[in-house]
Formats: sequence, C-alpha cells, structure tokens
Amino acid sequence: MLTVLLVDDDTEFLDVACTIIEFLGHEVLTATNLEEAKDWLQKETFDHILLDFMLPDGSGLHLLESLPDGSPTHVTLITGHPSVKGIIKDLCGPKVDYLVKPIQREDIEQALSQKNKPRTASASKKPAFTKHFGHLIGESACMQELYKLVGRVSKTQANVMLLGESGVGKEVVAAAIHAASECDGPYVATNCGAFSKELIGSELFGHEKGAFTGAVGKKEGVFEQAENGTLFLDEITEMPIDMQPNLLRVLENKVVIRVGGTKTIPVNCRVVSATNRAMEEIAESKVLREDIYFRLAVFPITIPPLRERKEDIPMLAEFFIQQLNDENGTQYQWQSGQLEQLCSYDWPGNVRELRHFVHRAAIMSDPESRELELPKTIESPFAKKQNLSSGLKAGRTIEEVEKELIYATLEKVDGNKTTAAEMLGISTKTLYNRLHAYGDLSDND
Amino acid sequence: MNEQQFEQLQIDVHDARRPLNRITMQAELIKMALQGEIPAEKALQALDKVIAECKSCSESLSSLVDKFRPGTEETTE
Repeated sequence: MLTVLLVDDDTEFLDVACTIIEFLGHEVLTATNLEEAKDWLQKETFDHILLDFMLPDGSGLHLLESLPDGSPTHVTLITGHPSVKGIIKDLCGPKVDYLVKPIQREDIEQALSQKNKPRTASASKKPAFTKHFGHLIGESACMQELYKLVGRVSKTQANVMLLGESGVGKEVVAAAIHAASECDGPYVATNCGAFSKELIGSELFGHEKGAFTGAVGKKEGVFEQAENGTLFLDEITEMPIDMQPNLLRVLENKVVIRVGGTKTIPVNCRVVSATNRAMEEIAESKVLREDIYFRLAVFPITIPPLRERKEDIPMLAEFFIQQLNDENGTQYQWQSGQLEQLCSYDWPGNVRELRHFVHRAAIMSDPESRELELPKTIESPFAKKQNLSSGLKAGRTIEEVEKELIYATLEKVDGNKTTAAEMLGISTKTLYNRLHAYGDLSDND
Repeated sequence: MNEQQFEQLQIDVHDARRPLNRITMQAELIKMALQGEIPAEKALQALDKVIAECKSCSESLSSLVDKFRPGTEETTE
C-alpha cells in the first residue's frame, strides 16, 4: 500500500480518482490547491504525489520545490495540455513523470506501480540513455554544451585538443568526434606517453626497412594509417619535448618522412590530442611547445569531471551494467537506493572509476540474482591523492597554497632544500627567498 | 486569428477538456462497477454525471463557437 497525495482543483475529478486509487489498495489524501498540498507535505510523507500542472494558486511545479532534497517521493504531473509534456520532461529528474489528461485507470495504476518496480525494469526494453554521436552518455547541461561543441567542430577539419581529468573519457570524446565527422578514413589512437623517445618517431611517422636495429620491415606511422580519418594522440603532453619539432613539421606541412627515409608522404587527417593537464599548467610547465599547442588546440574542448555532472551517474551506471549483463549473460539491475549511493560519491577517478566500481560490484554479486551487491563505502586507493587537492578550496590565496606545498615538499625530503627545490621546479635561490619571506630561515641555513 | 485570440482559444479548449477528463474517470468507475469491483449503484450515479458532463462540454463548445463568430463582437472593422 502506498500513501498517495492527489492534487487537482477539479473536485469532481478528485472524487472519482480517489475512489479508483482507494480501490487499487492505496491510501489517498487530496488537496485542491498548492497551499493545501504544501500543508499535507508538512504533516505527512507520501510515497507518490499525483499533481495537476495548473492549479488556482500557481503551477504544480512549485510543489516540487517544497519536497526535501533526495526525498523518495515519486511525482507524477498531470497536465491537460500535451505541449506541456516536453517542458516537464526537460525540467524534471528521474523521480518525476507525467500523464496527459484525460487519464484512465490504467494510467494511474501504471504511475503508482512504478514506485515499487526498480526503475530499470522498463530499461531492458528501451535503453534509459541516449548515446550521443554513438559514444557519449549524459544529459546534464555541461554535456549538452559538450555535444554542441563536438557537433560544431566535426563539421570542420580543425584539430581538437581535449582537456580533462584522468578518467573523464577523453578517448570516448575523440571517438565521438570521429563518428560525427563522417569521414572516410579510420580512427587511429595512440598514446604518446607509452613510447620511448627512440620509438615514438617510428610510431608516429613510420620507418623504412633497416632504419634502426630491429627495423626489419618498413612500417606505416599512425599519421599514414589515419589517412582521411582521425588520429587520436593521447597524453600529448607526455611526448618528449625534443620530438615535438618533428610533430610540428608534420602538422604544418601535412607531410611525413618515415624514420630512415627520404621520401615525403602527404598525410591528411584530423588530429585530436588529449591531456589531463590544465591549460595553465601546460603553458607554465613547458611540457608542450607553444607553437605545437596552437597547432593542436585550434579548438580546445574541456571535458567536465563526473562530480560536476552527477545527474548523469544513474545513466552511466545503467549503461555499464547493461554492457556487463550482455557480456556475461547476467540480469543485474540497480535498486534506486544504490544509484543514490553512487550519486553521493565524488568519483575522483571520474567515469573510469565508476566503470571499474560497477565491474567490481558485478563480479562480487551472485550471478543468479538480479541484485547487485555494493560495498558499504566506495573507496579508491587513489582517493587519497584527491584529498590533498580537495584541500585546495576556493578562497585561499596562491601564497598560502604555495607555502603549504613548499613545507610539504621539505618534509618529504627531510629538509633537503636542494632536493626540494628540484622537486618544486624552482631554483634553490627562489626556495631560500620564499623561506626567508616566511621568516623561517635561521642564519646558519 | 491574432495572438490574443489564440491564447483565449487555448484557455477555452483547456476548460472544455475538463469535462472530458471527468467523463473518462467516471467511465472507469462504471467499468469497475460492471466487473463487480464496486457496488452497482455507483455506476448509475456515474452515468448521471457522464450525461451532465457531456451537456456541459457541448455547451462550452457552443459558447466557444459564438465567441469566435465574426461580427458578433462590438469591435468595428
């Protein structure tokens, strides 16, 4: 039995609907306007609210605001106007759905029974998420913005640089850009951080037979492989700086010369590069030459971290579990409480951490059961690192943070100032100056 | 039809839909009564209400037509 609040200004409708809902075995309380409804919400907790969209003292949507955050109450908006449907759909979260008048008994039954069913039950028929550009999942505002950018840039030939924390899905966005471009060539991905200085040239530009020891045959580089397609260069900032002039030449002249070769080979592909460093950091730390940066980041796109789009977590979790179900022939389903648990965590490792967590939960659970077993707390061995940076709260001055970092570094190296300066990437002189300014340098130091 | 008139039409149609909404619910009640889920006399009451609502719906549609009949308003052209 559910406790239902029915809000509608049409008393005759209330009357009949009450009879029907009571017959369905639920307890019903009624209100004819917002004020009454708000009163009820103060006194009672409801499992379900059936809410007319247009009420004499305002829109039914105002009642949603009176619901406490994270309230388990399910809301069904009833509207007399089919066109309102679209607006409501955009406005409301997963716990809100709508019916269009005139409504029938079956409509009410269905709306009320949704509360008892896990929300994913219907998802087995139709997926609860849309894959934008065939790859991207999420309906949050920042993702909509991202889709707009991807849509725009895919119509051009511009090189894209993807910025974002580790695990946000840079490679997925790169694949989405490739898919949206509808180009003829393939999508080729390589990781610039994964090759030694000696091998990266061969990976990118290819080599001729006998170019170096072990080069038994000739090899096409990724630029050639991605002809008329998309080349994804991951961890571009990890590329050895002395290899970057070679890359620049390829980007400028659109030709490659294989290692050990002399022939110039024309290449034509969009380069999507990615880094988990912030733009300011790239500029400051000189991991990327400025001229290369401007060639690669014609169109920079920043991918938001998962904690800034928590409303997408249920959709992503749903996608991952469906994927695992398909792979393993299991029938796991999320319980709504579990999804809330997922949403309350900050996911410092972003979508990758979420996927890993879902995967682990699926392994831990009984494959015969539909229920997933989640550990009581979500923890990542990498979370500690994140704690340190989450100590970086807005409102602190750069000086303060700098001071803290300097002392933390000194502590780590047992007070060895030369080593500390090296780790901090500043000169020993600068370090001394700073410490002096903090008034923490005795004369014998 | 200008924008103001269209807005008025929307409101009127919304009002005209109200009895339809009631009728639907009453019909559900009658179904339940016929299936023996609620007492049979409920069906009789519900049917009376359906008839009343049909009349009311018809009236509001007639007045709607009157409202939009050209030349009936005092406005001069």
